[in-house]
Amino acid sequence: MVQASGNLDPILTAVIGNRFEAITKEIGQAMLRSSRSPIFSEARDFATAVFDKYNRLVAETAYIPILMASLPFAVASISKSFESDINEGDVFILNDPFAGNNHAPDITIIKPVYWQGELQFWSATKGHHVDVGGGGICGYNPEATSIFEECIRIAPARLYCKGEYQKDQWEMLLNNIQLGYLVEPDLHCQVGACKIGERGIRALLAKYGPEQLYKVIEELYNTTERQVISEVAAIPDGTYYAERYLDHDGVNKDAMIKIAVAIEVKGTEITFDLSRSDSQVAGYVNSTFPNTASACFVSFFTSIETEIRFNEGALRSINIVAPEGLVVNAKFPSPTVCCTISTGTAIVEAAWLALSQAIPRQVQAAWARWCAPTTIGFNPKTGRIFADIHFMCKGGGGATYGYDGWDHMGVVICSGGLRAPDPELHEMVNPYFLLQYEYWPDSSGAGQWRGGMGTVYRWRVDAPNVAAANFGGGVRKETAPFGLDGGMDAPPHQLSIVKANGEMIKVDAETFYRLDQGDIFEIYQSGGGGFGRPFARPPEKVLEDVRNGLVSLEKARKDYGVVIDPQTYQVDTESTFMLRAKLTT
Amino acid sequence: MFRIGIDVGGTFTDFLLIENGGDNRVYKVITTPENPARGVLYGMKMMAQELGMSTGEFLQNVSTIVHGTTITTNATLTQEGAKTGFITTKGFRDCLNMRRGLREKKYNPKQSPPLPLVPRYLTMVVEERIDCDGQEVIPLHEQGVYEAIDLFKKEQVESVAVSLLFSFFNASHEERIGEILRTNMPDVYITLSSEVLPQVRVYERNSTTALNAYVGPLLDRYLKELHTSLTREGFKGTLLIMQSNGGTMSLELASKFAVNTLLSGPASGPTAGLFYAEPHNNGNIITIDMGGTSFDVCLIKDHAAAVTMEGQIGNYSIATPMIDIHTIGAGGGSIAWIDSGGMLRVGPKSAGALPGPICYGLGGVDPTVTDATLILGYLDPEFFHGGKLKLKAELAHQGIEKLGEKLGLDKVSTADGILKIVLMNMADGVMEVSVKRGYDPREFALVVAGGAGPIHATAIAKVLDIPLIIVPRESSVFCAAGMLLSDLKHDYVRTYNAPLGEHDLAKIKELYQQMQYEALLTLKSEGIPQERVSIFISADLRYIGQFNDVEVPWKGFNLGDTVYLLADAFHHRHESLYGYSMPGSSVEFINLRLTALGVTDKHTLSKYPYSSGDPSPALKGVRAAYFEGKFLETPVYNGLKLQYGNLVTGPGIVEQINTTIIVSPGYRLYCDEYNNYIIQSESFKG
Repeated sequence: MVQASGNLDPILTAVIGNRFEAITKEIGQAMLRSSRSPIFSEARDFATAVFDKYNRLVAETAYIPILMASLPFAVASISKSFESDINEGDVFILNDPFAGNNHAPDITIIKPVYWQGELQFWSATKGHHVDVGGGGICGYNPEATSIFEECIRIAPARLYCKGEYQKDQWEMLLNNIQLGYLVEPDLHCQVGACKIGERGIRALLAKYGPEQLYKVIEELYNTTERQVISEVAAIPDGTYYAERYLDHDGVNKDAMIKIAVAIEVKGTEITFDLSRSDSQVAGYVNSTFPNTASACFVSFFTSIETEIRFNEGALRSINIVAPEGLVVNAKFPSPTVCCTISTGTAIVEAAWLALSQAIPRQVQAAWARWCAPTTIGFNPKTGRIFADIHFMCKGGGGATYGYDGWDHMGVVICSGGLRAPDPELHEMVNPYFLLQYEYWPDSSGAGQWRGGMGTVYRWRVDAPNVAAANFGGGVRKETAPFGLDGGMDAPPHQLSIVKANGEMIKVDAETFYRLDQGDIFEIYQSGGGGFGRPFARPPEKVLEDVRNGLVSLEKARKDYGVVIDPQTYQVDTESTFMLRAKLTT
Repeated sequence: MFRIGIDVGGTFTDFLLIENGGDNRVYKVITTPENPARGVLYGMKMMAQELGMSTGEFLQNVSTIVHGTTITTNATLTQEGAKTGFITTKGFRDCLNMRRGLREKKYNPKQSPPLPLVPRYLTMVVEERIDCDGQEVIPLHEQGVYEAIDLFKKEQVESVAVSLLFSFFNASHEERIGEILRTNMPDVYITLSSEVLPQVRVYERNSTTALNAYVGPLLDRYLKELHTSLTREGFKGTLLIMQSNGGTMSLELASKFAVNTLLSGPASGPTAGLFYAEPHNNGNIITIDMGGTSFDVCLIKDHAAAVTMEGQIGNYSIATPMIDIHTIGAGGGSIAWIDSGGMLRVGPKSAGALPGPICYGLGGVDPTVTDATLILGYLDPEFFHGGKLKLKAELAHQGIEKLGEKLGLDKVSTADGILKIVLMNMADGVMEVSVKRGYDPREFALVVAGGAGPIHATAIAKVLDIPLIIVPRESSVFCAAGMLLSDLKHDYVRTYNAPLGEHDLAKIKELYQQMQYEALLTLKSEGIPQERVSIFISADLRYIGQFNDVEVPWKGFNLGDTVYLLADAFHHRHESLYGYSMPGSSVEFINLRLTALGVTDKHTLSKYPYSSGDPSPALKGVRAAYFEGKFLETPVYNGLKLQYGNLVTGPGIVEQINTTIIVSPGYRLYCDEYNNYIIQSESFKG
């Protein structure tokens, strides 16, 4: 048992720690409930945090986990850039991935919190905007070969200076963005959310004063560090290596890209070494260091068993090695927009495969990767430009020891934080007619615990000339979700466009498409990987899945070795026993 | 004549009996979970006996019973609802069970997915489609409905829910399916989404509809049984059921809209709170109700409790309006533990009633909040439950001591720490409903109820700087009291989507009139004449492009003139909630809402004569209790003997059966002219 140290009151420490976390949730509520971008309002693709005056993370709520370790880099960059020129009433913005941001669409907006004339904390937000300029759709440009085709780059800059609205800065930004009517209010939304955070932090300062708060947060960092260290110590020493692949980078469609992770555990030290990954590539799957670091943290925090406050203490207790010039830490001016959803996922998968060699029962089988388009066009019905990402299309979660995967969860870098938009509101805003939105039978990897179900999502386009950027991967066997410990892989995704004239186009990962009136876009998003040998799954559980139409009679027989009478829906116990015996040998 | 409020809770069934011109009486009997009607009848017999009447004679003199029940809540939480079939639009079979694909605990892989309310094999799809303008695109293929009926009959389904895409714009397909079902399955409970919740958002509507179907048959059976038994014994009055929205409804409506009873138990708390606070305050209160496992908190602003359309029960969403009662896992039974980083934590796990806290001596080994309060001298081991359960103090001391060793703290500091943490959790719960929504808790009075609430009242008030605390003398049957004070209340909604300025005023008026007509008809069927009906209308608005809306009340019925005032009100509310507003931006309607009240007769608080400031006639002893780092000799008073004007200066303890009030130093308690307790900080001037 580790003891709370120092002269601090452990109770007060807990109380203040909770309060800081509650503040990050208050900031989040304001963003969630008032933003225009479906990406942060509906899909919750944002993070909120409080930092101390030394730019250390005090508390955070990452509504999707891939953002968990990225804000500290952005805050440090802004703070360094303005150093002695930070004032009460300032609000700062940043999106440039080569100045500390994770990727360009996730705009960072932060506000310094002053107390009695001195900077004490930062109230911070980061959210995925629906447009950041460039040649992409919602930021995604699978043909980009440099950042200049992806976005307007915002170096650390001020949206407000001493409380004054910086008109020139806003105009410079919004004049370069097609969907300014959505981005402008969402920038205001982030500024408003920062103010909500400021309100909470100032109340704490009024109550406890800065000196006491700083004593407490040091203790919070130490506590978290102790927790992480004790989790690391529980992992057997050794070096564990695994690799996973990306389908391609959008530009060179014949080459899969290797992501390699070696996890070295020595006593209480852990290092994620990604040095053996491929060199950086032409297309937009190049990762930035903040994103790579986040992915490593996601893999680790989803594989340990306690709930730990995520703060500076966690950040400093894990080493990450990702040399510059590799796909996991690309140099300027590489394109990087797809690094969160594509490359981040592959890093988590490789790290899980590596960890599964050390702590097999704690790791999950792979979740379905993301693969769906973002689209933009003109909606004749509303008379407006529309843009959206089709977040209904969610694959299954991976199974783990003792538990089936969750159905319709979406990609692992969100780990269940991605909320599917409402289909009715979607039809009311976009010129789309939904044809199907339900589970895809037989999409999950078989196992003693099976993967979660994937999703069929089909819609008809009811407007001419809609542009689509299909982003993400997982459309081939090598990139489909893996099973663990004898559990089976899930099938690859299947995506296609059925043109109004009946022609069928197979849809690839990371590629632009043009859609016309009457086209039907069809997505079969895979389920999660299975865990443990399928023959060890109790036949009643297999029967239940068959009765529910999630697993077919054939798959029950072939993958699970369970024979079910198609008339009576009873398990044929004897045939099952024989079949399982036969298939085992 | 008598009026009775009945709150059937998990452990006890509470009764408040009010006699015209007479006193209020409080009763408690053990709940009979297998058939709660039995406990209710037993209570009736007990009351009759105490009044010296036969049960029949007594019941003939009961004019009104208002009843809150947890039968639907428990059925949902324990997944023991009716076997339910679900019919939806072809292609959208799993929208109900997908739950929008959220997993709240993102980092924990060791969780089972929630069990669906309706298994997939009982979810049937029919070919049909209405589009987003309410136009029929694919006609209803009735064959599919008959196929569903065949399966449902074979599977002996007791209840069927129907929820189709865009049925809130055009209910014709749902209504036709309803007809076919009623004709072919006359004994089955039928729920249509267009009747329960004609409102946009598929999952939330499906879930509300399915929940109604899931709990409907149970509630229907229970209410029929209860009504029959009461009538057989001589009852001829009105039986009303408490709803989640804080109002009541008739038996018939409750049976049909069972989903509206999922919060029937605690929903009358705010009304009770307002009633007791009325003489002292302007209608801004926060009610807290702390029992064994949970802490319920609700904010009431300008006499109106906050209402949410995003309620949850278990893992299921409910989009019909519910009083926004925030519940956290903090109660007397909450367990204290140490996490892997060496930090002390409390709850949300509770020792419940069995084995309960260590000091119950019933086999509990985990130290709890109740054990900590005992060590600090707040509870009298001999007078717990009015002396019916003798507490084992020495066991509590051992348990807390052991926990303290791991922290390097002595047992008293540990017990004090446990209370401080649970206190902070509760304070955070209060902040959740206040600060988070833009309200300053210091502008509210705190009304405290429940078995464990009054112990922590002054401590919570101190943390939040709340100047005024009210503890009703009937705080242990708080919700039963609230039921007798509630009006009949019905909520209606219509989805209407158009930008302000481009809206069709005639259409808006028509929709409000439809709702008003329905409301008047319903209240008439419940015996409410039109002059007793109050109507309130509001609109859900948002900036064009937003995905969530803000409900803004629409004062007055002159719709044409007030549309722009409505927009102003929206900008203001937005600013206070989210830290910004954009008065230049376009605003759009998303839903229109109407609430109708059928105002009922209510009792008033009885006044008592002034006695004096001196509380000493009620003094029953002195014991050591822990305040601010040391034990102080603290006087203990018998609450039932305290009279109007008596003033207890902290430190002090006031005890009644099932209620202990701790008055911390720096606070003073006095008994007001209605025999309720008012506690104020000594620095408070008011």
